Amino acid sequence: MAIRITRLSKNSLVVESPVMNATGTLGFGDEYRDLIDLSTLGAFVTNPLTYTAWNPATGTRVVPLEAGMLVHTGLPNPGISKVIGQYRALWERFSIPVIAHIVVKAADEMDKCIALLDRESVVQAIELGLSDEISPAETEWYIRSAAQRSEKPLMVRLPFGASMDHYQAAVDAGADALVVCAPPRGTARDQAGRLVAGRIYGPLIKPIILRIVGQLARRYPRVPLIGAGGIHSTQDARDYLEAGAVAVQVDSVTWIMPQVLETIARDLDGMESTKPDESMDDLFGTSS
Amino acid sequence: MKETQALIERVRRINETHQQLYVTVDTSLTGIKPGQSVLARVGESWNPYLREQWWPVELNKNTLTIERPVGVHYEPGTIVSLIGAIGEPFRFRRTLRGVLLVVYNTDPVPLLMTIPALLANKVSVTLLLLSTNYDTHHLPPEVEVIQGEVSEGNSPIERLNWANRVTTVGWADQVFVVVPQDDEMNYFREIWGLFSELRADIPANFLFGVFHPLLPCGVGACACCEVRLRGSTALMCTEGPAIDLTKLALA
Repeated sequence: MAIRITRLSKNSLVVESPVMNATGTLGFGDEYRDLIDLSTLGAFVTNPLTYTAWNPATGTRVVPLEAGMLVHTGLPNPGISKVIGQYRALWERFSIPVIAHIVVKAADEMDKCIALLDRESVVQAIELGLSDEISPAETEWYIRSAAQRSEKPLMVRLPFGASMDHYQAAVDAGADALVVCAPPRGTARDQAGRLVAGRIYGPLIKPIILRIVGQLARRYPRVPLIGAGGIHSTQDARDYLEAGAVAVQVDSVTWIMPQVLETIARDLDGMESTKPDESMDDLFGTSS
Repeated sequence: MKETQALIERVRRINETHQQLYVTVDTSLTGIKPGQSVLARVGESWNPYLREQWWPVELNKNTLTIERPVGVHYEPGTIVSLIGAIGEPFRFRRTLRGVLLVVYNTDPVPLLMTIPALLANKVSVTLLLLSTNYDTHHLPPEVEVIQGEVSEGNSPIERLNWANRVTTVGWADQVFVVVPQDDEMNYFREIWGLFSELRADIPANFLFGVFHPLLPCGVGACACCEVRLRGSTALMCTEGPAIDLTKLALA
């Protein structure tokens, strides 16, 4: 069954399954080739890409937490040109669409990335990863700029702390889909007793983001929402679809139990989002 | 690389700090070599969340002997999920007479599987423990164990001391060093500084740093174990755990 996960246009992204990986979880291509059948997914989202190479973080990069973890990698990647050069042939062999995730830090770098991706037929959509500090005005500016430069569907992943003003700005600027949202940031002590900042992963994230998805689905019934955060089971993913998401992105459970991603994808194969149900409004709260 | 199930057959306490698990594994793991490990998930709970990195210390047919800290409880008969093998085997020279294993302020387990393999090939093994509390009575008697000291000082050669330092370093054909996981670069810098003082030069394929960071994925996808080399980067889960310190970006 075909599921459209971006706004209706001549280049809408249509997938067979509403389940995909979140950026940063599956690498750039075939890292999980022995453990996961990628063809069961609706799409493949690349690890974060930047125009120039980014080095890995130094020091503590992972802090175990109660039922979760804090991760700080520095988003290392060899730069978008090298990644495309290295993985283009592999992506062409994929039976699922490839979505390139771009880290948005500076306008000129984002523009160069989009110019490169727009020429690549192997990449079917672009996901912009907005920084945690971005303002609503900047959100609108970046998305408008990106949308003007690319024919490809533009998915926008907003930070965990995004306000309704941020989401409104993204919708106004022409985002083709909203990915809700990036993992929250946190600070925790490592084994050596030092404080480390990073993103938090774990099942406890899901109820928080599920509520945001529910609110947004009621506020923007025509904007495709992709629920992302804390999914650890088929029921978790189904909850996002019931809340109004058209698709879901699965993150850290893939590292811990790789088969869970495939199981969720097989279980939800072809399942469509349910229309927001007014009887559930009280569960998600007001969107204003 | 596969995800397989394994069975904890037996648990044996070997000293004050460690226990050994005898784990029956899938045939895909019976070719595991020194330097490689597996990522284990015990039970169904999300706490602990991360898989444990299990370093084998011995392989006997389809039974891996895993050494773990005594603080974690394991029950014989438990079925565990394993992902592996993780990493590349240690690259030993073909002509090898003596290997120095250095354990600096951390758990020696990532290095221990080398011992039976090296002794079987008539290679002498010296285990140097620096600021490390690890009872070695269960190790084969052929292993020379040296207790070093870490003291105050301005330079590595002042801080890191043991008997016959120059002889120990000069005699070794290869050296493998394991250090605390959250501060590898500072420790490897110190080791590099020490060996630079004790030897005229440090050739390639001689001094290896062994990384054992926490590994969320183990397949090179999450980038949590990526480290900087001179002019490139490397993922410790797929290209490590041993990195030639002449290639590491220590500056």
